[in-house]
Amino acid sequence: MNRIVLRRLAQVIPLVLAVIVLNFVLIHLAPGSLFDVMTAEQQISDPAMLDQLRHTYGVDQPTWVQLAKYIWSVMRLDLGFSYRQNAPVLNVIMDQLPATVILMLAATSVALLVGVTAGVLASVRVNTIWDNLISLAAVFFFAAPSFWLGIMMTVLFAVKLGWFPVGGIRTIGAGNGPFADALDVMHHLVLPATALGLFYAATYARVMRASMLEVFRLDFVRTARAKGLSPARVVLAHVMRNALLPIVTLLGLQLGTILGGSVVIEAVFSWPGIGSLLFDSVMSRNFPMVLGVLVLGSLLVAVANATVDLLYLRLDPRIRAR
Amino acid sequence: MLNLAIDFARRFARNRAALIGLLLVIVVVGVALAAPWLFPRNPLRIVGRPEIWPFVNSRYPLGTDSLGRDIAAMIAYGARTTLLIGLCASLTATLIGITIGATAAYFGGWIDEMLMRFTELFQTIPNLIFVLTIVSILGQKIEYVTVAVGIVTWTPIARLTRAEFMALRDREFVQACRAMGMGNLRIMLGEILPNALPPVIVLSSLVIAGAVLFESAVSFLGLGDPNVSSWGRLIGDGRTLIRTSWYICAVPGLAIMITVLALNLVGDGLNDALNPKLRDR
Amino acid sequence: MSRFSRRDFLITTAGAALASGMAGPALAGLETPKRGGTLIGTWGGFEPQSLFVPPGGGSSPYFTSTKVLERLIRLTVDLKFEPVLAVDIKPSADFKSYTIKLREGVTWHDGNAFTADDVVFNAMQYWKPISAGVSLDALEGAEAADPLTVVLKFKAPVPEFFLKSVLAGKSGLVIPKHIYAGSNIITNPINNAPIGTGPFKVKEWVRGSHVEYLRNEKYWNPGLPYLDRLVIRWWRDPASRAAAFEAGQLDIGTFNPIPMPDIARLTSGGKFIAETKGYSNSAWVTTIEFNQRREIFKKREVRQALMQAIDRQFIADTVFFGRARPSIGAVASSNSIFFTKDVQDYPFDVKKAEKILDAAGFPVKGGSRFKLSLVSAGWFEENIKIGQYVKQAFEDLDITVDLAVPDRATSLKRIYSDYDYDVAISNNSGSVELIPSTTQYYTTDGIVKGAAFRNATGYSNPKLDEIVAKMTVETDEPKRVALAKDFDRLATIEAPLLPMVDLEPVTIVRSDVRNHSATADFMGESWAELWLDR
Repeated sequence: MNRIVLRRLAQVIPLVLAVIVLNFVLIHLAPGSLFDVMTAEQQISDPAMLDQLRHTYGVDQPTWVQLAKYIWSVMRLDLGFSYRQNAPVLNVIMDQLPATVILMLAATSVALLVGVTAGVLASVRVNTIWDNLISLAAVFFFAAPSFWLGIMMTVLFAVKLGWFPVGGIRTIGAGNGPFADALDVMHHLVLPATALGLFYAATYARVMRASMLEVFRLDFVRTARAKGLSPARVVLAHVMRNALLPIVTLLGLQLGTILGGSVVIEAVFSWPGIGSLLFDSVMSRNFPMVLGVLVLGSLLVAVANATVDLLYLRLDPRIRAR
Repeated sequence: MLNLAIDFARRFARNRAALIGLLLVIVVVGVALAAPWLFPRNPLRIVGRPEIWPFVNSRYPLGTDSLGRDIAAMIAYGARTTLLIGLCASLTATLIGITIGATAAYFGGWIDEMLMRFTELFQTIPNLIFVLTIVSILGQKIEYVTVAVGIVTWTPIARLTRAEFMALRDREFVQACRAMGMGNLRIMLGEILPNALPPVIVLSSLVIAGAVLFESAVSFLGLGDPNVSSWGRLIGDGRTLIRTSWYICAVPGLAIMITVLALNLVGDGLNDALNPKLRDR
Repeated sequence: MSRFSRRDFLITTAGAALASGMAGPALAGLETPKRGGTLIGTWGGFEPQSLFVPPGGGSSPYFTSTKVLERLIRLTVDLKFEPVLAVDIKPSADFKSYTIKLREGVTWHDGNAFTADDVVFNAMQYWKPISAGVSLDALEGAEAADPLTVVLKFKAPVPEFFLKSVLAGKSGLVIPKHIYAGSNIITNPINNAPIGTGPFKVKEWVRGSHVEYLRNEKYWNPGLPYLDRLVIRWWRDPASRAAAFEAGQLDIGTFNPIPMPDIARLTSGGKFIAETKGYSNSAWVTTIEFNQRREIFKKREVRQALMQAIDRQFIADTVFFGRARPSIGAVASSNSIFFTKDVQDYPFDVKKAEKILDAAGFPVKGGSRFKLSLVSAGWFEENIKIGQYVKQAFEDLDITVDLAVPDRATSLKRIYSDYDYDVAISNNSGSVELIPSTTQYYTTDGIVKGAAFRNATGYSNPKLDEIVAKMTVETDEPKRVALAKDFDRLATIEAPLLPMVDLEPVTIVRSDVRNHSATADFMGESWAELWLDR
């Protein structure tokens, strides 16, 4: 078990290096630099001032020197300084990371809960109206662009019905103790987590249904039924447990993409997360910020993958034997 | 060969939903092909009063957008763009995916390790951000959006191809080929690939659907190609009017939904027809 | 009596009024303001990169920093200067030095006293080298005559309206010397939680969400601000902002916060007001620019013909839903001091444009007169539509057009660094004072490769340069206005670039918010006088 975790972690280092080099090169290939954007925003035209800023931002050095310096500083666990935000990269990311992590976790929970439930229901009632309805809903949520869904949900649930706030993560100045705050965040979380989660739920429902149907045909299920176990118990304890494996695989694969997928949802719900930060930073060619987010992101994905490996061990003991 | 095709068609036809999906895809393709005859003018031309609702003016059956362009014409031409993006992106992704997956599995060892790390690298970077970066480097041309979508969606195909190749590479028929002194490339392309292809094709058909959604997100964020009509751009343009003239978003939104739905149904049908083992089990 | 001497009179009387405790904004309503409450505001853009960006940084940090940092004077909505931190600003007889009398009893948020030393520091270390740039080229020195008096010395005569515009403008914010002295002003970490003399203190900035300000209890103007708390919050999507207004979670939004078609829907119930005042000192226009490095556009007739090919009323009505006007000349029509109607007119006339192009040696050959690349800057959503419309308008003249609407960074690069365009559609916001914010688009010294929002067309005309040079040192205001009109007439006939439409930005505000939009640049005002009738 430790070996798997160690192996995963050892793979992270070259991965992070590659992420840095690839994105550094990409951002530098893009027309317009952070320097152009900043001086344009600041309306600076004085050549002496431009030179001074070039030096301050460190863009007067050759690109490869900048890259080498950056890698060296990451190796010392320093993600650098973002002149655009006028703050250390890590501080800015840490300000916005919790919101994204909360959103990711909530969206994943929604996806798992809705997806797995729907998938199980569809497989148990296979080829009935339930099955068809669930399939239809799954395709609907898979096919509907998420920003469209998000705006429509805002209009209905926040504006027309007034059940949920229109955006943001907290009621400003609510500070009524940790418990009330947590409730407040959850209240704000419902719409964005649902809008983001339903897309993934659609995939999970389909995969779960297929995988359940397959497991139903296996011998041990027949054995369980023959033993006289109740149908509910067979489904929950025997079939579901085994049918969950593909879902876990999928989960591991999607953790990386969910970070990017939240860009659009964060835009619609003004969720103060990393997605908007990343989008802005790409648009302003703010490479220290983009690289910082991606480096942390790849670490996150690596940790997630290690977790998935461990989950696998729990769900499927055969892997341990191998 | 003909027998195989008929057999395949019969199995595909057994799935009624897949047939409906195929029908829908054919309709979309038909509209795309017929666009120049249905709407001889440039679809991006301003032709009427802005914001005419659908079914109000018979000249503009689906209404006009905020500038006064014919939505029906934009949908028809948008079908071309959207399908082209979907197909080309899927083709790009499939080519990259198969090449990497097959090479990794066939040669194994350090090549496998390297290529899988490479795949992981692409999985780590958030897809949408990667697409946006590539589009801002190459420029906002529809070709580049396509390439960008292809570049970010190949990883699942590579993994699947690898898994299929792994299962097949030590089979007797492959060993026989090796013994006969066949070249690696010939074994990979001529012998293993045809057997590994069915599940890959199914996945590729789903990538088309994904590419359509990607394009709409890129346009939503304002990075689409302004010279061509595409469904995603239409939604992006219409989103500021979502409260007053919501049909501008709804019509292309529905078009995307129907297309993605149809592609999914076809994908399911292909899955059933190409992987009979799964079905009969 | 000219308006300028009247204004001088006003500034002194207003100063006296404030000094004698009769404080109050020029346009204070008749009702008695109520104290207290929280106001939630936003604007039609994104979160700032930093709450205060010393060299400028665009509208977003300008919006957030001006609630904390103040200026010496401000410009009211009817274009009169009012005292803020300075009670009086007087030129010497030769206009080469100005004496600034500062307000007494002003303290920084950290308790230190605001003195003449601060202003000297700002003039020499901040305004001249960092924020104002070329505007203060002539500034030679600043000295504190006594703790409340500063004398600014210039190499050449400086017109009074010009200097006051700089001090009341975006670059005139006053920062504390005791915090910035000896540090790099641009990278000082305090910029993320600035300390100023203003009515609001920064309480907390939650990145990605909002910034919360608390009332400055020791504000120099007793009784102000009326609000207890001010929150500026950001939404990325205009439709979400409209929803926030409707859900009662947003009170005021400046600079087109919501989709324009939603304005009518929101204001029809009487719960919200759409206010167009308060934007005259940052008059936004959409420009069309013809790259003079291309042979075709060296011919003035071609530029004029293309101007006539564009139906600017259509752009105003359809793209901006009526929230814009076709521009007249190079100076925005909201600029009541320098604007003139007496300039070359470019009415929409395709036939005439075709004739001019035929005569200029560009007849239709093989279906096309010539090919051009049109770059529409992608920072405003409207520019996508304008680009598509202009492409169509040029195609109607049988010109082949390749349209690009690149993202912000690429647009800046293509238009202002690489000059990689034939025709560009861009934007600028000009202050009432034309130098340099308007003139630098036309003068030769406005050509600075890589510096954005100035002369990117490469147009150079000694005659025009001379007019602007005269304006820079002309201290007699009526003569200066006459020069400005000469400039406008020449620029409009030459048409290297011209505004196509003057935008009419809207502030959306709940009807129980009072005392807003009373200054020429409301978004960059301290908002001390705003109050809630709840």
